[in-house]
Amino acid sequence: MTRAANGFLTRNPLLWRIVAIATLATALVVVFVRSASAAAAITATEVGTTSPGSGGNAFLQVIVNGIIFGLLLALASVGLSLIYGTTGLSNFAHGEQVTLGAAVAYVSVTQLHAPLWGAIVIAVAAGTASGWLQDVVLWKQLRKRGVPNMQQMIVSIGLALILVNFIQIWIGPDRLRLIQSTTRDHDLGLISVSTPDIVSICICVLALGAVGFFLMRTRLGRATRAVSDNPALASATGISVNRVIRIVWMMAGALAALAGPLLALRYDAFNYQLGADILLLMFAAVTLGGLGHPFGALVGALVIGVIAQLTEAYAPTPDLKYAVVLAILIITLLVRPQGILGRKERVG
Amino acid sequence: MDFNDILQVIISPTTAAFAIAAIGLNFHYGLTGLLNMGHAGFMLIGMYGYAISVSHGVPAWLAIIISMLSAVLFALLLGWPTLRLRGDYLAIVTIAAAEIVRIVGRSQWLKEWTGGNTGIRGKDFKAPFEALSPFPDRLIRIGPWQFHGSLSSSWWLVLVGWVLAGLFALLFWRLNKSPWGRVLRGIREDEDAVRSLGKDVYSFKMQALIIGGVIGALGGVVWSHSLAVTPDSMSRTVTFQIWTMLLLGGAATVFGPILGTCLFWALFVFVKQLAPLALPNLEGTQVEPLALAMVGLGLILLIVFRPQGILGNKKELAING
Repeated sequence: MTRAANGFLTRNPLLWRIVAIATLATALVVVFVRSASAAAAITATEVGTTSPGSGGNAFLQVIVNGIIFGLLLALASVGLSLIYGTTGLSNFAHGEQVTLGAAVAYVSVTQLHAPLWGAIVIAVAAGTASGWLQDVVLWKQLRKRGVPNMQQMIVSIGLALILVNFIQIWIGPDRLRLIQSTTRDHDLGLISVSTPDIVSICICVLALGAVGFFLMRTRLGRATRAVSDNPALASATGISVNRVIRIVWMMAGALAALAGPLLALRYDAFNYQLGADILLLMFAAVTLGGLGHPFGALVGALVIGVIAQLTEAYAPTPDLKYAVVLAILIITLLVRPQGILGRKERVG
Repeated sequence: MDFNDILQVIISPTTAAFAIAAIGLNFHYGLTGLLNMGHAGFMLIGMYGYAISVSHGVPAWLAIIISMLSAVLFALLLGWPTLRLRGDYLAIVTIAAAEIVRIVGRSQWLKEWTGGNTGIRGKDFKAPFEALSPFPDRLIRIGPWQFHGSLSSSWWLVLVGWVLAGLFALLFWRLNKSPWGRVLRGIREDEDAVRSLGKDVYSFKMQALIIGGVIGALGGVVWSHSLAVTPDSMSRTVTFQIWTMLLLGGAATVFGPILGTCLFWALFVFVKQLAPLALPNLEGTQVEPLALAMVGLGLILLIVFRPQGILGNKKELAING
């Protein structure tokens, strides 16, 4: 049955596939919808819109919030997808790269008295360095020893445990704020957005655009896609696979570290579990989009972001948000394990 | 430095519960090569199944069966989409499913059943088990060990927990030697070869997932009798700890999970006691994270340098997923 469904979907154009999966996912959320009035009340308090807003406004606001969250999630998970594509590793320590970014930015603001933008730059630099260091000290050695991917995955779990606990020792267990002032929402008629949100959207679009440009238009980007496709063949054509992988690790660290402070701003505060909390959402995003596919993370993350916000607004209780997203992850693997953009031969 | 604490933790009921869970995981990983990263979910499902049943007036023997059946159902649900796919998909799905159980359990949505994030209190479900205790109702000291006779972390629970662990180790030993176990080990080594012999690999994997899951669920029931049903104490970290215990003792061995669990907790308590002495600047709240970071380091060192653990055979564990 699954096979037949896959064949049916692959014969059709890309857009149709995206629509099909999105509809399926939305239908799942609609199951949770309570009465419209109660839902509108919850949304108004959750989102905190200043405008009196009818039900339609509240719904639009939820979608916009979902897209913002989706963009941030995409920024965080692009690296996860690239690493998987080039090395075949499901990196469970990727969430800690996000936390690291937020933690470095926080320490830069409070200890070094850097301006916020400076703190974010320092965080990205730290993320790049951490990606480089990890590859040099750990992952390259494991590849050299021929440690299988499954074992490497368990190593990444161990690394995640080390990092999350050291970050906790470093910044403590409390929720921390990057900026002390409260931000004001701009009323744009139907919806309202805050200044940090607008800046975050711009940064996300720019960064993701840069990644897209890198992958599609530069020599190194093409080499990266070649390694994703077939490392042995890429190596045979003269591409230095290890160098490509090194750069992918640095990019992944940088992008995740950029997402960290932006997520911390979006949610007003963060703690040492920031990245660990969204790790499975990132996996859901890249799996839904197509594990290893360069643009899968973006597509998957936008869908996941919108669904997460819709669930928060309309589910019987908002704390089911992540449960619904993870259920979608499992359903994706059931009906289309290669994800929206992925190709079939990657699986099984 | 207090060595009594270390001795105490080695035989404590929670250690027995983790040993049982590790034996369950040994059926998954050691025997079949399945990367179950949601073992804490099986434990939580098991304790919910038992505690919710008992607190609603179901007799204890039926509650145990309900608990086991919910683990079977959970395994079927997990295995159905993933056992045909590559190994890391099972890892991601199991970890996600375990989180779903925890999130739904702690949510306000099913509060009247699961008790929300505070969970189910011990006095709501422990009574039938504690009533069976043959020991007197007071603190009893035997050598360096001191437990209550029959309440919560009791000698009664120590006895039942370790007898169960022994029985499951025996079961593993028997099944590992059986033709059925040989098929599973064959799947672990080379799935396609076993398929070419006409075996239904999917069905064998599912059976292993169910058996290990049920054992994990019973480990959860033992654990909950020592403390209470609290969803947040069955997080991902617990699964990773069980993995470390299994890999430390030696996957695919009979006594590996038990040895690994005892050693793990002894070392864990040892590190927690040593840390403040070795690093005087450390604050009290930083000791636990430091010990957990050591667990992560241990996990890495084990998988890279000694994937067979203390008791295992290196040739047997060349898993390539």
